[in-house]
Amino acid sequence: MKNRTHKLSRRQFLQRSAAIVALTVVPRHVLGGPGQTPPSETVGAALIGCGGRGPGTFKHLQQELNAVMLAQCDVRWLDRADNKTVYTDFRRVLERKDIDAVAIATPPHWHALISIAAMQAGKDVLCEKPMTRFIAEGRAVAEAEKRYGRIFQIGTFGRFGVSKNPAEILKRKIMKSGLLKNCPGVLVHSGGFKIKQWSGLVNARPEPVPKSLDWGMYCGPAPLRPYHPHRVGGTHRGYWDYEGGGLTDMSQHYFDPVTWTYGKDDTAPVEVEVFAPPAHPEVCGMWGWIELRYADGFTIVCDGREWGPPYERKKARGISLDDLDEESRKKLAAMPDPEPLRSFGEAVRTRKPAGGNAEAAHRTVTILHLANIAIRVGRKIKFDPVKEVIVGDEEANRLVNLPMRAPWHL
Amino acid sequence: MATTKPNVAALVEQMPEVDHPGKPSTFTGPDPAVAERIFAEIFTGGRASLLELLAILRSPCDEDFKNYKAGYVLHGLALRAGRPGNEKQRRLLAETLASQLDSRKHSKAVKAFLMQELQTVGGREAVKALGKHLLDDDLCEPATQALLSIREGAAEALRAALPKTKGKSRATIIQALGVLRDARSAAALKKSLDDADGDARLAAAWALARIGDPGAMDAMLKLADKAEGWERIQLTNACLLLAENRAAGKKADAARIYTHLRDTRQDPKERHVREAAEKALSQ
Repeated sequence: MKNRTHKLSRRQFLQRSAAIVALTVVPRHVLGGPGQTPPSETVGAALIGCGGRGPGTFKHLQQELNAVMLAQCDVRWLDRADNKTVYTDFRRVLERKDIDAVAIATPPHWHALISIAAMQAGKDVLCEKPMTRFIAEGRAVAEAEKRYGRIFQIGTFGRFGVSKNPAEILKRKIMKSGLLKNCPGVLVHSGGFKIKQWSGLVNARPEPVPKSLDWGMYCGPAPLRPYHPHRVGGTHRGYWDYEGGGLTDMSQHYFDPVTWTYGKDDTAPVEVEVFAPPAHPEVCGMWGWIELRYADGFTIVCDGREWGPPYERKKARGISLDDLDEESRKKLAAMPDPEPLRSFGEAVRTRKPAGGNAEAAHRTVTILHLANIAIRVGRKIKFDPVKEVIVGDEEANRLVNLPMRAPWHL
Repeated sequence: MATTKPNVAALVEQMPEVDHPGKPSTFTGPDPAVAERIFAEIFTGGRASLLELLAILRSPCDEDFKNYKAGYVLHGLALRAGRPGNEKQRRLLAETLASQLDSRKHSKAVKAFLMQELQTVGGREAVKALGKHLLDDDLCEPATQALLSIREGAAEALRAALPKTKGKSRATIIQALGVLRDARSAAALKKSLDDADGDARLAAAWALARIGDPGAMDAMLKLADKAEGWERIQLTNACLLLAENRAAGKKADAARIYTHLRDTRQDPKERHVREAAEKALSQ
């Protein structure tokens, strides 16, 4: 078969172009100009998980990237999905080539899988906290971020504030310098964990699934349980299937700045001790306190203040220059300050990791998953932060990487 | 050693009431020391006491479900039995749970709960009993999840079930063989690349990628090239994963996959795949 080539003269081209322009109304925002952003600088975006924090998360993405919302997806919208702008299946959203970034605000049992799938599809990701439901998920997100060169930012921003504070910068420098051999630091976070508020119901009998809800898709990688309304819409936080109670829900906020300040965004605690009643198999319940110790001795204490006797084992203890000898102080003074953190928008533009990148977010949420594992098995656990396994406790280690319901997998 | 047989039902009733009795409710939980004493006492009764507990266990799905207490106590026993160095108690509990999976006394919902507890505390001794339920559409998923946590001996049970499964259970079992990186399933998994079910096809490609099977390379690249939408994204990812797993042993195989992806992913919206392949080739 012959190739047919159509050659246009310059005159013909200009005539045809003029005709097209004459028939097309071009809105001002398309052309740019003062106060308007040209389309080459806007980003097509989608929101996946539209209840609760959804609109807030998307607003952040919109502001950072000058994003235009092209699609919204929520499993509760079987009665209104048109598969054009409103979806119930995130896979159909990720197939779209005009979407470059997604905001994810589903319950946390979907965070890792949708983040990974979005990066596999070439999208950048802003994902609500907590980043994951269990430890292995975070490692898989970090691997996908690296493999595909995509930008991931967790939806909590405390580290951006402390990274500009001279006192916190100094603490980070001390911690990262290697000059402090045995760290005496103890950070105690007291209260605010919403333990009771985000615990689940027992004695709840199944109820009929609402017609507008795709229950199978809601459960996703988690076990397909009988439906109960308390498992959906915010109160999902009280079930191990979807989250880890108030501890994981609140504390990625609390410890996101801590892991930056104390230089723990590339490692994890090695020992965890808790005081809690025996855990329920499906429902997140009460706990009194949690101690998490890093290899260098730095300790984080979560003092729940909602159950059991008051915490009295350790006192808060900061880190300062006084912890270094004269020679070490001189060495520290010669060391450079840490590099400023990149916002999500800046990271997308420069294609360099965001301040709340997957590795950093994973290391923060790992603190909370380890705490919950210790609560769930009711004993002290030891963790290897390099292999990311629990050492010498097979039962506890099974909670590091939970099996997923097919067809979902990491 | 206890001289009298523990009254299991009475011990179960010692668990605290929920915060709002008579309604689905949050609960505060017992004093850990009190719970420990109760769990220890039940174990003194051996298998007979464990069976007594299982006899009163009901799921919220069952008509005659009363309250959470029996299930909570069973889970407490599993946590106690799973403590490091407690092998004798762990084995006793796991064998007792496994022995009830075929019982007609228990509903499927209760059996799913027992499987969930085996996911916590089960070992090799529970594999055979779990394997029998892989062909049951209602129980395949919890049985598989328990097997995946147990790991030892799981691949044999899953491999044996694969040729007999259909529908949703098929994708579940294929995926599980991938989780276990079961190289002995490679031939069966390759056949599943042509499965009529999309989930089974994708699961097979992912499983072969995890196994790092060189014989699957051409078929997977071909499938990925032809596919569109979600399937293309997933199959392309499986090819990258296969390349990573081949790179550890045979770099030429990995290079062939990367080169193919670099040269065929020319759509600007697949630039990230091209770049991933280029990056891997440059290392």
